Amino acid sequence: MSRWPPETMERAHAIIARYPEKRSAVMPLLYLAQHLEGRLTDDGMRQVADLVDLTPAQVQSVASFYTMYKRDEVGTYLVSVCTSISCMLLGGEDVLAAIEDETGVRDGETRADGLVSVEHVECIGACGGAPAVQVNYELVEGVTPENGRKLCRWLLDGRPRVVLGDEMQELFGGQRSFDWGPVEREGAVGPVPAFGPYGTAEEIR
Amino acid sequence: MSERVTITIDGREHEVPAGELLIKAAQDTGTYVPRFCWHPRMKPVGMCRMCLVEVEGPRGRMLTTSCTMPVNDGMVVHTESDVVKKAQEGVLEFLLINHPLDCPVCDRGGECPLQDQTMSYGPGESRFVEEKRHFEKPIPISDLVMLDRERCILCARCTRFCEEISGDPLIEFKDRGNGTQVLTFPGEPFSSYFSGNTVQICPVGALTATAYRFRARPWDLEAVESTCPHCSVGCRISVQASQNQVLRFLGVDSEPTNQGWLCDKGRFGFEYLNSSERLQMPLVRGADGGLHEATWAEALDAAAGRLAVVIDQKGADAVAGLGGARSTNEAAYAFGKLLRSRIGTPHLDAQLDDGLDPQFLAGVEPRATIDDLERASTVLVWGPDLKEELPVLYLRVRRAAAELGATLIVVNPRATGLDDVATHVVRYRAGDGSGALRRLSAGDGELAAARAALAEGPVVAIVGRTGLAEPSALAESVAAFVRELPDARLMPAVRRSNVYGALDMGLSPSLLPGRASAFDDAARASLAEQWGSVAGGSGRGAGGIIEGLAAGLIDGLLLLGADPMQDAPDTARAAAAMQRASVVIAIDLFLTASAEQADVVFPALGFAEVEGTVTNIEGRVQKVNRLLPGPGQAREAVEILEDLARRLGGSIGATSAEAVAKEIAAVAPAYRGVTWDLLDWGDGRDGIVVPGPEGSQPLGFVPVARDIPAASADLTLHLARTLYDHGTAVRRGPSLAKLSPEPAVHLHPDDARRYGVGTDSPVRISGSGGEAELTVRLDDSLARGTVYLPFNLGVSIGTGLEVRLEAMS
Amino acid sequence: MTILTGRMEAHRADSHTMARYRETGGYTALRKALLEMTPEQVHEEVKASNIRGRGGAGFPTGVKWGFLAASEPRYLVVNGDESEPGTFKDRQLLERDPHQMVEGIIISAYALNVHHAFVYIRGEYPRPARRVQRAVDEAYEAGLLGRDILGTGFDLDVTVHLGGGAYICGEETALLNSLEGRRGEPRIKPPFPAVEGLYAKPTIVNNVETLSNVPWMILNGGAAYDAIGPEGSKGTRLFSLSGHVKRPGNYEIEMGLTWRDFIYGHGGGIRGDREIKTWIPGGASAPWLFPEHLDEPITIDDAGRLDTMLGSGAVVVMDETTNVVKAALSVVKFFAHESCGQCTPCREGTSWMQRVLERILSGQGRAMDLDLLLDISDNISPGLRWPPAMTTICPLGPSAVSPITSILRRFRDEVEAMIPGVSAGV
Ligand SMILES: Cc1cc2nc3c(=O)[nH]c(=O)nc-3n(C[C@H](O)[C@H](O)[C@H](O)COP(=O)(O)O)c2cc1C
Ligand code: SF4
Ligand code: FES
Repeated sequence: MSRWPPETMERAHAIIARYPEKRSAVMPLLYLAQHLEGRLTDDGMRQVADLVDLTPAQVQSVASFYTMYKRDEVGTYLVSVCTSISCMLLGGEDVLAAIEDETGVRDGETRADGLVSVEHVECIGACGGAPAVQVNYELVEGVTPENGRKLCRWLLDGRPRVVLGDEMQELFGGQRSFDWGPVEREGAVGPVPAFGPYGTAEEIR
Repeated sequence: MSERVTITIDGREHEVPAGELLIKAAQDTGTYVPRFCWHPRMKPVGMCRMCLVEVEGPRGRMLTTSCTMPVNDGMVVHTESDVVKKAQEGVLEFLLINHPLDCPVCDRGGECPLQDQTMSYGPGESRFVEEKRHFEKPIPISDLVMLDRERCILCARCTRFCEEISGDPLIEFKDRGNGTQVLTFPGEPFSSYFSGNTVQICPVGALTATAYRFRARPWDLEAVESTCPHCSVGCRISVQASQNQVLRFLGVDSEPTNQGWLCDKGRFGFEYLNSSERLQMPLVRGADGGLHEATWAEALDAAAGRLAVVIDQKGADAVAGLGGARSTNEAAYAFGKLLRSRIGTPHLDAQLDDGLDPQFLAGVEPRATIDDLERASTVLVWGPDLKEELPVLYLRVRRAAAELGATLIVVNPRATGLDDVATHVVRYRAGDGSGALRRLSAGDGELAAARAALAEGPVVAIVGRTGLAEPSALAESVAAFVRELPDARLMPAVRRSNVYGALDMGLSPSLLPGRASAFDDAARASLAEQWGSVAGGSGRGAGGIIEGLAAGLIDGLLLLGADPMQDAPDTARAAAAMQRASVVIAIDLFLTASAEQADVVFPALGFAEVEGTVTNIEGRVQKVNRLLPGPGQAREAVEILEDLARRLGGSIGATSAEAVAKEIAAVAPAYRGVTWDLLDWGDGRDGIVVPGPEGSQPLGFVPVARDIPAASADLTLHLARTLYDHGTAVRRGPSLAKLSPEPAVHLHPDDARRYGVGTDSPVRISGSGGEAELTVRLDDSLARGTVYLPFNLGVSIGTGLEVRLEAMS
Repeated sequence: MTILTGRMEAHRADSHTMARYRETGGYTALRKALLEMTPEQVHEEVKASNIRGRGGAGFPTGVKWGFLAASEPRYLVVNGDESEPGTFKDRQLLERDPHQMVEGIIISAYALNVHHAFVYIRGEYPRPARRVQRAVDEAYEAGLLGRDILGTGFDLDVTVHLGGGAYICGEETALLNSLEGRRGEPRIKPPFPAVEGLYAKPTIVNNVETLSNVPWMILNGGAAYDAIGPEGSKGTRLFSLSGHVKRPGNYEIEMGLTWRDFIYGHGGGIRGDREIKTWIPGGASAPWLFPEHLDEPITIDDAGRLDTMLGSGAVVVMDETTNVVKAALSVVKFFAHESCGQCTPCREGTSWMQRVLERILSGQGRAMDLDLLLDISDNISPGLRWPPAMTTICPLGPSAVSPITSILRRFRDEVEAMIPGVSAGV
């Protein structure tokens, strides 16, 4: 009855096996579902419900509690701009305005071509590198309004398949919360945090 | 009696049970702390924050929610301090800022905890000038329930009920914080058998029942406490009416039975009482062959006259009586007395060949009460799917397993509602019950653990027929096995509302009133002293009566609220038999299929229109009470029977229900001393389990294990009921009628494959009593080789175990 | 004096790798603990260190461990949900020295007789999560996790879990619900996690930084740790400095130095050499401090004396140009957005306060609004004290009150100036 392909089901069972109790796998499985379809669909939630023996209503209840499960249309690139206190003090709102203007997408909306969504977010733990921005949850710190625009143009023109934090920091970032050490090759594909065990991360060659 | 501690509330000392929640302890000692989310039958969550009180601690007074705080010795509590008052007023203001305050158009208006507490604790004018929270106004979340999210105060009572009590979490919180709402999942309605309870426990008007919306204001309602007429659990209810129409049933919290809950069939099944199809006048079949309205005198004369002819020509035992299982004990008693004594026939039955051996039901011991489930360490359910047939008993078993930690063993040919909380689920092929019992008692293979659990008393075993095709002897074999277990009690399970009472009143060839055996000469003799005469000998039960009719041996039939042509397991056979009868007299609320065949039809008063007693599955006698006059010229069954008796040779003393009740309390051994007064005003408010203190149990029935050879056919039949069947209460009430499912042939996928059919393929299924053309549903919970067919959804193929299936193209 | 950040400062390129960690003395504390010490002795060292939790509540870790109920199974959960605005210290520990925490986890699990530990990392931290997962994988490969660790017969599994975007999941019982696959709603306490935690089993919840200190304690002894820093604020502590300072960042400092030394010394002072107006001393939940407090020492107890707290160690500095109503709104808005919604006062009160502030900011304020704000606050946090009295289940609601009381007590005239018809200072 499963709607997911066998290899995905295998992944799902591997995720469930990480926990003493099935239900604990709900959040990772929701990420997997969102990764598969680009957003969290009703079918995705039904599938997760089957896997952990919950009703779809229970799964929806959990998913809707958290901000990172996107039940509405969301772009290939989710641009999140922090406007919490530290970023606000250093111009986060101007960065948001610049990015809205550059992409033509208002806060909380997705562009018709489905390429990009823009949202303001609460503190993402980059206060030392304010103002901070995330693309598919990969971080760029010390972003000026002008660099925010450049970042968007880079995304829309280059259409990188895998989004890499270090690359973006290199090109568009400034002040950092702390030194980041070496360049990582693992990044995000689509609006889901890139994490190996969940099958949502990808290496670039 | 549990240990007690002393606490001080607002300066007064009280003795309360240790560990009890403060909010309850306070209430029981006279201090009411306002609350919204707390419900005595559910775990506390401390969410609404309305029940804040101050408790003195090492670091001074602390504000805490009294619904989450267990009392301990020496606890000092303040419920009226300025701090408490301010906090409670604050919470109330917070609840109101986003509340629409549309009380004038709200069903809850007048009985709304939020409204009431705003009056007594709330702040006056609103300091909130912002725009209120908005949601789409009431949306239907099922055929029975509407949800208004703007009124919701997010106490989570409804969602907790579904998860904790009924086990079907179909409504849940969605989103969070200020945007939190209660909602279903898209395309998955709140189709729970227990949804009505959420309407009753909603502290505001957020959840409303389509059946009741805008029908009345609380202050226009008259109410009386009574007992639900829909199944043998006998839940306590409050019947509420206005302008001679029943408008709603509410659950009343009775510790030993329903603990406040009702199933939706019970809650919404009242509509049939208001039906325009209710009989208003007696009907008599005229020369033209049609039924015509008549006066009571004409009808009674006609009925008595035509019966007398049969009795003269063929003798008294050419007359038989069916029914009584939906009547009061008083009506059932009068019916039995009329048949056995005044007419003098031993052929009478309250069941329709769809139950269990009457002596087994009335006499098996040791008997379990529903409340024994609270203490059971192991529960065995080998009988009907309780969720479909005895829903509130299902809730109690569910609680025993899920909340109280009992080991639950469920034995059935198909998945039941309890499987998800069962420790052991045993499947067997319909017809192979004996084999399954052998395997269980031997603890074969994976049944070892289940067998071991059964050795852990106290054991409560709910035993009945899993389906109508299953021989009733199996239940007795199971009972025989259970009686051998240490510290085990039995609850024989049949469904029809007052069937236990009717049998206790002697409506069976093998029983006399008060659980005496009809074959016990002494018992017959002492009853004869009261009644004058008592027909003895071996009478016919429902099956025999129907055969007798078909064979022309029985010619006259009295029906007391019975509709064999609709309700008998083999409707075709019943119909054919009734054609042969020369006289049929029906006492009923409706012109049922069977009543249409009658020569005389008497319109009877029904539930909420008569006073009397009923007896539930555990032998608990409870009152049903009168609130309404009833339609047209309808009369009490008791009086109709008395008038018939007088025309057939003399009174049976049934001048009134109360008179009959007095006679029962005097002559029926198990019912001795069980008087209306005791039930209304005495220790009997929660009912009295018979035999009561003054009563005795003359009949001691010892079930014996019989080995029933397994059916050999390739496919065997599992014929079982669903809650919303085509019974009168459902069919004649608009709310429930639309809920009964489409009949279908349910097959295990493997069997479907063997027959080359799949979901929705048309098939012809033929059994002992006919055939039907239906579509297929796949059900991998079925034992292989078993076909499940829902009973009483308009298809009848007889009750023989062996069936044949052919695919149709 | 550095305990936590020495390695990452010295080896910017690879402080997070097993190779570098080993090469700089990593996992020797683990050998010492598992091979030479009993679980009780390990617990003793942690007790002796007098370390207080770094997650915000500042509860003595050794004491908390003592509450862990005996029954099995029992769990250790690492709180890496770091979401308190201004806080980014745990992120650095997770990214730059994950093995230090993993070693701390193994040693602590050994002391607590735990065989399954979980690291709950906020969903917006995929990179730290990847680094921790890699460290965990390396530890498994090295036989430092899994069955029969170092041949001692001690087994331990570690599962890294990503949050879904909800600040409240930093609250330990909400975190446990979330980890169980439920809505992140805080539970009523008692029972405390140490008695009924994950899957209703005994559970210790500790912050990332707290556990990262454990290897050092084992190598140098709890007493050595206790020798650092003033009474009640032992050891070094990682502070996240942000806002209008010249040199924002994480600073590992020995507590006891003054706010002036920290903000002007480490932080390099205010950008553009403007005047400092106020600062948040311990994360968005904490009531604010003002210039007259610059020479107060940074300790848990001194902060308490000033009716605020060091909380999560996040210091957010605001200069003279700051619009305090806008700043307060930003914080209140955060808490309204993050309220789980269980408690009526928090669910309704935080968003009500947000909307009143928005009205004031947009020039629609009414004279009564200031007292209204204080009274709403009082109905969430009776008495407006710190630590707060609460009409709620957890302190999130009362935390939203901190910025309100801070600005209304200190900058009332500034706020009034924004309200039509109410002239400032009058
Ligand atoms: C609203 C709220 C948010 C919290 N957020 C965090 C957090 O992000 N990280 C954390 O370690 N502790 C957080 N805490 C504190 C935890 O509840 C808990 O006290 C702590 O994780 C225990 O670890 P510790 O004793 O090592 O500090 C928060 C508490 C509250 C009330
Ligand atoms: S105070 Fe707020 S966040 Fe905390 S439990 Fe209550 S509603 Fe949830
Ligand atoms: S009744 Fe206690 S919090 Fe709701």
